[in-house]
Amino acid sequence: MLLTSTNEIKDNGMERILNFFRKKSLWMLHYCTGCGAVELPPTMTSRWDMERFGMGPMATPRQADLLLITGYLSVKSLKRVIYTYEQMQEPKWVIAFGSCPINGGIYYDSYSVINRLALYMPVDLSIEGCMPRPEAIIDGFTKLMKAIEKGEAVGYKKYRENYEWYKANQRNVLERTSAVLKEEA
Amino acid sequence: MEQREIILKIKENFSKSEVKVFDEKQFSVFADKDDIVRILSFMQMIGFQQLAIISAVDWIDEKKFELVYNLFSYTHIQQVLVKTKIERDNPKIQSVMNLWEVAQMYERDVHEFFGIEFSGNDDMRPLILHNWKDKPPMRKDFDSLKYSNEIYGTFKKSEEV
Repeated sequence: MLLTSTNEIKDNGMERILNFFRKKSLWMLHYCTGCGAVELPPTMTSRWDMERFGMGPMATPRQADLLLITGYLSVKSLKRVIYTYEQMQEPKWVIAFGSCPINGGIYYDSYSVINRLALYMPVDLSIEGCMPRPEAIIDGFTKLMKAIEKGEAVGYKKYRENYEWYKANQRNVLERTSAVLKEEA
Repeated sequence: MEQREIILKIKENFSKSEVKVFDEKQFSVFADKDDIVRILSFMQMIGFQQLAIISAVDWIDEKKFELVYNLFSYTHIQQVLVKTKIERDNPKIQSVMNLWEVAQMYERDVHEFFGIEFSGNDDMRPLILHNWKDKPPMRKDFDSLKYSNEIYGTFKKSEEV
């Protein structure tokens, strides 16, 4: 189980002032998995215009603040997502799109798609829908901004505090050494 | 060549094979396991240049694997499925790498998802799955839901993560 809960590591004092400025300038990483990627171009461009919230796309993880998991995540891309997340500089936030990263969605019985993203990396916000419309995505972004301002979006701290727990979960999927299902004799 | 002529030619050379016509551009040939390389090289000779895909079907009740070679001809504008059945226990078949080089990848793919051995094709490194230790996942007796619940967990509302 997790060692520290979100309430214990909330931002206070000086962090809260910094957070006020951070929430106005979020750069999201151009990394797309699954089907949610098609919802992002209309969100970014003139129809819904993400830039009015001070958000923009960024090509490299080292300069991005926001990692979007846009839909189902296979084990093979989970490894890449973890690499990407660990390369990002703090403060950083993760948004999960749709039902697949929450409980597997329509891939609940797939042998290659993970069921819960929250076991492998801290998720600050989940947007429901399959897939969420740009309105829902914008709504999610504004909710994340409010959470950042209140100091509640501290997933990156949670990852640091519970590093061993997250690593153990990741290793369980990525570096298994024996078969999962026992062969019937 | 018309489809009728192609089928006549196949019948002449391989009397045991069964031909089934779907429409004027598609038909299938069911051949014996031992004939498969000969019939495929014959098809290549009469103008089926492209091996589009190799696929497999698991007939678990019959205890057989069915291999499907999907060929296409640019000269006759015809598509043909060449099929054969092999035993399900210890499945093994001759590789067709000598006829089409691309078969190397397709056979590797079929080997990964069905566990079928191809003699003559030595490079069978894992291609798509990550760190796979269980039985090949596309076999009918592989329980995908049980596997998923066991390793990726089920959703519990009460638990905070």
